[in-house]
Amino acid sequence: MTMTVYLYICLAALLATTFVFLALRRRKSVIGLDQARSLMDSLDLAAFRNLIDPEEEAFLQSRLPADQFRKIKRERTWAALAYVRDLSRIALEFSRFAHAVQTSSDPRLAELGRQMAYGAVSLRLLALQATGRLFVAATFPALSPRRPDSLLDQYARSTGLVMRYGMLESAQKRAA
Amino acid sequence: MTHWYNYLLFYLWIAPHLVLLAVAIFLLKQRLFSEFPMFVLYTWYEIAEFLLLFTIAISRLNHGSWYLHTYLVTLAISTALRFGVIQEIFNHIFCEHGPVDALARTSLRWITVALLLVAVGCAILTSPQSFGNLFAGAAWIGRGIAIIQCGLLLFLFLFSSLFGIALQSYVFGIALGFGILSSVELVQWALSTTDLSPSMARALNLLPTAGYHVAVVLWLVYLLVPAKQILQPSIVPAEGPGVGIDGWNSELERFLQ
Repeated sequence: MTMTVYLYICLAALLATTFVFLALRRRKSVIGLDQARSLMDSLDLAAFRNLIDPEEEAFLQSRLPADQFRKIKRERTWAALAYVRDLSRIALEFSRFAHAVQTSSDPRLAELGRQMAYGAVSLRLLALQATGRLFVAATFPALSPRRPDSLLDQYARSTGLVMRYGMLESAQKRAA
Repeated sequence: MTHWYNYLLFYLWIAPHLVLLAVAIFLLKQRLFSEFPMFVLYTWYEIAEFLLLFTIAISRLNHGSWYLHTYLVTLAISTALRFGVIQEIFNHIFCEHGPVDALARTSLRWITVALLLVAVGCAILTSPQSFGNLFAGAAWIGRGIAIIQCGLLLFLFLFSSLFGIALQSYVFGIALGFGILSSVELVQWALSTTDLSPSMARALNLLPTAGYHVAVVLWLVYLLVPAKQILQPSIVPAEGPGVGIDGWNSELERFLQ
């Protein structure tokens, strides 16, 4: 047998192992409502808004020398990037949570789960896009990234849906 | 040894198709043909293909290259149907996810082009000595197709997990079955063009059917076992005092405080 054949066998074994690994990883547990709430609380949105605020940036630019401003801007962008990464992780957890709610036998909960899943997936997409933009901005401080307003709006919508699910659950618990 | 081998060979040829028949009947009973028409078509096609090839193999029709030609033609149709099933899985998973659906479709196109280039590259690097042998040519193409299908399924799993999209149990089972089947076929096609010892060649003969057996069992298991609800909504909603508008209002007030 030639070296190429061995390479094919290794590649196929690697692929088969990956498929089996993905099947096993599927059993990974999903966060609960309390964990979803604590994730929401963990994100300091006010600080994040401040870091991406163009007025704040303009103020710093007017007060600081150019080289110092570039340095500060780069540091602020890296900090904003850390927030967006956290937001992206939260979106992923929301998505898993929402897909689990979607399997509910109750049509109202399943519908709410569907809405939450749609919102969480959109949020994750926006967070990934913002990550890319901020990474470019952190590398090249001269560039001004677009303010991720849609990301914040989508986050507000997603957290609103999670809270709605929480309210529905609490109302049911009290009624039970 | 020969008896044992023959029994195993026949078992691995017949048994997966019996399991596949159970899968096909279950799909019809559950009315999943409207959701997965291509997969339903694929299962029935595979059963018909097996009946045709089995009849040729055991009857006196098996003269010369009759079996090989029929096998290659049916394999080509089966491969085309598999691509259809993969496309169907993609559509099914991402159709409800708005902007991600568009991204998935675009990415799928580019990934297919990239995998096609990889397959062509691999084929050029490891081209057979001559294309005079029909089977060597088929193996050369089959290897490329296995690379593309493996890549597409891997992309499907990675892309859905990137967005935390949970695949329905049977959708996951179908994709996983095809993933394992494509991986096994990659090895089979890679080995089939090399000089192997008689014992290795006999073992290789069992590989595709064994892989197929694993795949159809996976399809059946994932279809029969209901989706494991990892997170159960804690209470089943019930209409009653406190659950109506008043209940909602009081909860809203509590949250706003």
